[in-house]
Amino acid sequence: MASNTEAILTLDSVVAGYGKMTILNGVSAAIRRGAITTVIGPNGAGKSTLFKTVFGLLGVRTGRVTFDGADTTSFEPRRMLDAGMCYVPQGRNLFPELSVRHNLELGGVALSDTSRLAGRMDEMMARFPMLREKADAQASTLSGGQQKLLEVARGLLLEPKLMLIDEPSIGLSPLMVQEVFSILKDLRSAGVSILMIEQNARQALAISDYGLVLEQGQTRIEDTAQSILADPRIAQLFLGGGLAPATEEKSR
Amino acid sequence: MTDFLQLLISGLATGAIYALAAIGFTLLWQTSQTINFAQGEFVMVPAFLALIAMRWFGVPFVASLVLAILASMLLLGVAFRYIIVGPLIRRGVLPLVISTIALSILLKESVKDFYSAEAQTFPTLLPDTLITVAGVSVSLAQLGVLAVALVTIVLLQWFLAGTRTGRQMQATAQNPTVARILGVPVERMILYTFLINAALAAMASLLVSPIYLAKFSNGETLGLIAFVAAIVGGFNQVRGAIAGGLLIGVLDNLAAAYVSTAYRQAIPLILLVLVILFRPQGLLGRKEERAV
Repeated sequence: MASNTEAILTLDSVVAGYGKMTILNGVSAAIRRGAITTVIGPNGAGKSTLFKTVFGLLGVRTGRVTFDGADTTSFEPRRMLDAGMCYVPQGRNLFPELSVRHNLELGGVALSDTSRLAGRMDEMMARFPMLREKADAQASTLSGGQQKLLEVARGLLLEPKLMLIDEPSIGLSPLMVQEVFSILKDLRSAGVSILMIEQNARQALAISDYGLVLEQGQTRIEDTAQSILADPRIAQLFLGGGLAPATEEKSR
Repeated sequence: MTDFLQLLISGLATGAIYALAAIGFTLLWQTSQTINFAQGEFVMVPAFLALIAMRWFGVPFVASLVLAILASMLLLGVAFRYIIVGPLIRRGVLPLVISTIALSILLKESVKDFYSAEAQTFPTLLPDTLITVAGVSVSLAQLGVLAVALVTIVLLQWFLAGTRTGRQMQATAQNPTVARILGVPVERMILYTFLINAALAAMASLLVSPIYLAKFSNGETLGLIAFVAAIVGGFNQVRGAIAGGLLIGVLDNLAAAYVSTAYRQAIPLILLVLVILFRPQGLLGRKEERAV
């Protein structure tokens, strides 16, 4: 029983895929403003494809994407950034040979007013002191968790309204996973909406307001996180029967 | 000892020219997976563009050099990017490699047919007078080559590391998908690398031609050396290409003097084999981890 808060992102029968392969077979969903929504589903359900499509890395074949009141169906990534969305993909997404500072700075490429860049970087460093301590170190020297924090900070540089974050816990220690999740909760308190894909589904749903279950490129269930956690069918199908999912590094 | 110093300086001078050619090689590879087998011809052609300006149109020397660099950026930069690399890279690396080989033949034969098959003398900016410092005599021309090449390299490094645009180019080279996700204008950054490659090749051309004369077949050796320098230094690193170029220049000069001139050509190849055997990522390279 989803509450009636306003949607920040709406998908209306979205079809997308790669070449001859169709991955999304008409996904419809409404992602709520100011909430954390977790997308779950089996491998190949189209979770990451959904993110790429929404963010404009992959074209929408048919259907419609509406973000923050505007039709963004045909937007390129750059226009999505301008519209107020950021995307933190799965895996390692830093520029390994650039310093932490310069990695962070690249989050501000799309800033319309470059004079604000230094100020925004300072705010991020104040918020994540680790970034200031390691500012001049090469990004490749950071631990996995620190790298994820830097990616999140980089995404936040543009003050997005919605953050898409794909599998933030992959390869992180349980302690670090807790930290990343608590940062996401802080962001929600600060008014940032979050759409997350997470294989650590139980833990992710526990901090989420809503859940979206994808299967074979379609929305199977769209409900509050609590109802999804309580649903016995889903527990059996997607939550791995209560066993903690493996957290080993998935190379890609 | 003074002999050695003289050889070292002239080795560094030719090595700096090789480095200029090799840097472009690695830049193109990093940002667009282009292995340019016409790189040697890219170093051969600009000298002829300058000669055409000077001899056919009577343009003054220095203006011809500037014109040659600009024309190279247009032909070997913009046109190469949009006419050859753009359409072909979508079909994979191999068709593009074959096309650059075809391009190298086209450039070589065009210069031979439309200009001349003979080696052409090429004027130098600085006279060939010898200056002697502490018993070591080097020619002013050689010092000039070394200075121009090093200043160019330093400026390039400053641009890549010290400016926001340069860092966006590095980001594009290190991970184009993420660069795009952050809003970096990836296409424009790729075009910049093609422009820089053409400009560096043109610089190398204008510096090397007074020493070795301008000839349509010059690209064969230069291209091979640039390729080897890039691999020896580390294909994914600009500083690797610099180190590789300087190393080959110096070794090649020392070998010619102390071993035999007959072995001169073999030096880069021996170095190549050793590096591939013992340090395949190159002296300064990092192991490639490419996302699929």
